[in-house]
Amino acid sequence: MKSKPDDDDLREEIEAHIAMRADFNRDSGQPAGEALANARRQFGNATLVREEVRRLHVNLFLENLLQDFRYAIRGFLRQPVFTAAALIAAALGIGSTTAVFSVVDRILFRSLPYPHDEQLVSLGMMTPLDSSEFLFAESYFDWRKHQTPFRSVTSFTAGIAECDLTDANPARLSCARVEQNFLPTLGLPPVLGRNFLPQEDIPNGPKVALVSYALWQGRFASDPNMVGRTVPIDGQPVAIVGVLPANFEMPTIARPDFLIPEVLDEGREHNGRLLRVFARLKPGVAIQQAREAMHPLWQRTLATVPRAFQKEVSLALRPLRDRQIHDALGVSWVLFGSVCAVLLIACANIANLLLARSTGRRKEMAVRAALGAARGRLIVQTLSEAVLLGVAGGVAGCGLAWILLRIFIGLAPDAIPRLDQAALDIRVLIFALICSIAAGLLFGMAPAFENPAPGSLTGSRSTGGSRTFLRESLVAAQIAVSLMLLAAAGLLLRSLWKIESVPLGIETEHVLTAEFVLGKQGYTEAARQLQFFDELERRLARTPGITAFAISDSLPPSGVTRARPLVAIQVEGRPPLTDRTGGMITWRYITPGYFATLGIPIVQGRAFQEDDRSAAGSGVILSQTFARRLFPNGDAIGKRIKTEEWYTIIGVAADVRNLGPTRAPEPEYYVVRKPVIDAVFSNQMPPYGWRSAKVAIRTSMKSKVMVDWLKRDLAELDPALPVKLGTMHERVGKLIDRPRFNALLLGMFAGMGVLLASIGLYGVMAFLVGQRTQEIGVRMALGATPQAIVKLILRRASLWAGSGVMAGLAGAVLATRAIRAMLFEVPADDPWTLAASVIILLAIALAAAWTPSLRASRIDPMTALRHE
Amino acid sequence: MAEKANPQSALPLLILKTLARGPNHGFGVALHIQNASEGLLTVEEGSLYPALHRLERDKLVSAEWKVTGHARRARYYKLTPAGRKQLRRAVESWDATSRGVARVLRFA
Repeated sequence: MKSKPDDDDLREEIEAHIAMRADFNRDSGQPAGEALANARRQFGNATLVREEVRRLHVNLFLENLLQDFRYAIRGFLRQPVFTAAALIAAALGIGSTTAVFSVVDRILFRSLPYPHDEQLVSLGMMTPLDSSEFLFAESYFDWRKHQTPFRSVTSFTAGIAECDLTDANPARLSCARVEQNFLPTLGLPPVLGRNFLPQEDIPNGPKVALVSYALWQGRFASDPNMVGRTVPIDGQPVAIVGVLPANFEMPTIARPDFLIPEVLDEGREHNGRLLRVFARLKPGVAIQQAREAMHPLWQRTLATVPRAFQKEVSLALRPLRDRQIHDALGVSWVLFGSVCAVLLIACANIANLLLARSTGRRKEMAVRAALGAARGRLIVQTLSEAVLLGVAGGVAGCGLAWILLRIFIGLAPDAIPRLDQAALDIRVLIFALICSIAAGLLFGMAPAFENPAPGSLTGSRSTGGSRTFLRESLVAAQIAVSLMLLAAAGLLLRSLWKIESVPLGIETEHVLTAEFVLGKQGYTEAARQLQFFDELERRLARTPGITAFAISDSLPPSGVTRARPLVAIQVEGRPPLTDRTGGMITWRYITPGYFATLGIPIVQGRAFQEDDRSAAGSGVILSQTFARRLFPNGDAIGKRIKTEEWYTIIGVAADVRNLGPTRAPEPEYYVVRKPVIDAVFSNQMPPYGWRSAKVAIRTSMKSKVMVDWLKRDLAELDPALPVKLGTMHERVGKLIDRPRFNALLLGMFAGMGVLLASIGLYGVMAFLVGQRTQEIGVRMALGATPQAIVKLILRRASLWAGSGVMAGLAGAVLATRAIRAMLFEVPADDPWTLAASVIILLAIALAAAWTPSLRASRIDPMTALRHE
Repeated sequence: MAEKANPQSALPLLILKTLARGPNHGFGVALHIQNASEGLLTVEEGSLYPALHRLERDKLVSAEWKVTGHARRARYYKLTPAGRKQLRRAVESWDATSRGVARVLRFA
């Protein structure tokens, strides 16, 4: 504060005052001795005065604020209905915004759990084989040796393998195989113990592992001697050398239980282990520069790729975050944007409530202004009331956010990456607080900057033309934003409906699934694996209530499937593809019951039979899409194709949409499982190979009973085998998690928006009727019919609702463009959805205006006029 | 018995009005209010200062040290343009209020 007088100044000023008073007293005839004493008495308590002045300067601002808050709380408590309405609106707005923020924060804003995460990149080769980049070990060695833009490069072996903890209480866990410099590159040291040593990451090195924090805390009961302990993993003793930090996650977001050395062998990695490669940029190196620097190495790698693939692969080098969120970015922004729209509607709503309230307080404000309250002080007071309301609403909103978040996670835990991690932590709460204060300032703006005119003290009637304009345009704005939300939600709901009505190509009812991977220990021998499956088949065939069953290595929809590039499939009598891969062809390794179990019709030829499973059998079944692709004339049956070996096409099966309803069916072929030892299959690592299996069962019994039987059967075969049981219905349901999540969330927000807007409209109309009571009374006294009055009010309401709708339509055309990528077979400017949204909104708006207009028509002219 | 009115709530207005006649020190303001109200309004002299300083902080008055006619150093307060404006507004509304209050009192 400028020119603030210091304490000495004040003391001198007071002394001067007393001296002058003493002079005055003397001049008016008091004895010299009493004059000074009287002067002091007349002045009062000088210390107290000094204190008060000092406080005035020091924390006047805080003091005023405190006073304002006390005053505001008293005021709010006096008007419980107003307060409740405003609080509910604020809680709805802030609560839903907070809940959505807690979800999208992890995707959009929050830094990854690595120091200087902006330097971390994922790199490799982008191919049609996989949705993420990878690198074959050979290329990796080349890159690692010759790269220049990175401070360090590291890798882990793609696919986090299942591994068994084989102590007294066996458990199926997950093990990631990481390079020795993996943790240092990410910048995460173990919390206990140490990282792997270089001499542990070599072939035939000592068996060591790092254990996850969660496993250490849980299974090992926070054993202080964890480091140095030896645990059996897959039957082999492994020394634990360290414990990972609690927040450790792989760059792919997975959280494995153990890290074990990757053991890359430069001399022997010729048949190409798939690696996920990550690197830390040197300080100051941008992604683009790094990409340019890697170009020569990429060219070298490209030369090793078969010619057919060359056009379809590209160098991927992208920030870690981009790799993690894939396509969730657009969805996140849409959700965040729509929830912010709800917040804006809530703010406009509360602003209107405050305006209505301030009308009642104009006289109070005017008196205070008259008594010398500065205008700024009154503005601060109004704003602090609004902020108080905002913060109180925010507290209630946090409660609501907690509930909403549970609902979101319950709706679709996998719809959005990291949704399961979303929580109301301190960061989210700070966001909620900022949101509350900002909202408070925003909705406090309208009443705060109305100038309390001195004239309002005298007049009893306030015409307030500009004021109703402000209020009505706020309602129109709410309607406009609601329409945008409604249109977007409508489009998403229509898409969802369309998605749900797409046939997947399989019959999901009455089908149970069981997934398991045989442990490494005990099933190393192919014979042992075969024996297990033989026995399983025998048991399933015997179980009553099973009408059909299949053992496969993969089941639709989605999931990991085997796939083979078309270039690697040869058709008898045709030249092989050379210039392109032809895309990936899915294939499955199944028992004959597969088609019957999943209800996939055979459209040509026949299904597999038991004879096809003899060692000499060589039948293959193609999907319709694949058959049409290879044999457009429809003469596939009897033709021969070669993958690993030659097969004869015995049948064509109807298409299955393996990737879900929104994607075209993939070309597919089926090979039958034979009870014959095959070294290739038995040695493959899960998720491929014999050890990994998925069982599907069609049953006429209640699924609960069947699940119990299935569990028992499998337990009898191998009591230690962990099995994941489910229904086909659930598997299919998961596919549309994302569109359902989007549609339901946006639908919910649109509902909130419409509700708030209609309450707002109701409020303004009721207020208007209240204000015009006398005018309406006069009209009625002069002969206006109740119908005319209803019309008068409704016309006013529809004028504003209509202009809101017009503005909303323009906005909706723009807003729905943003969700185009989220739509399925519905155009973003779908006229039906827009029309329906407009009709719904107008109907609700008229309903909201109906009650006030009825009330207006029942005004008794006598009472109204006497009211004056 | 005629009680002396307590003008606390109107104090800022009274100060502004007094200063409108020309710059003055605290004691002068107190004296003027007392005299002008013909003794009806007595300002508790100490309470003047918080009010003066508040006005100064709100930039409605400015202050500087000067020497009085009696050769004493005193802090002189002067209306700022903002203060003058505020005074005009406050007088109007005060008039309105007091007229209103008076009417009500007469009515009852």
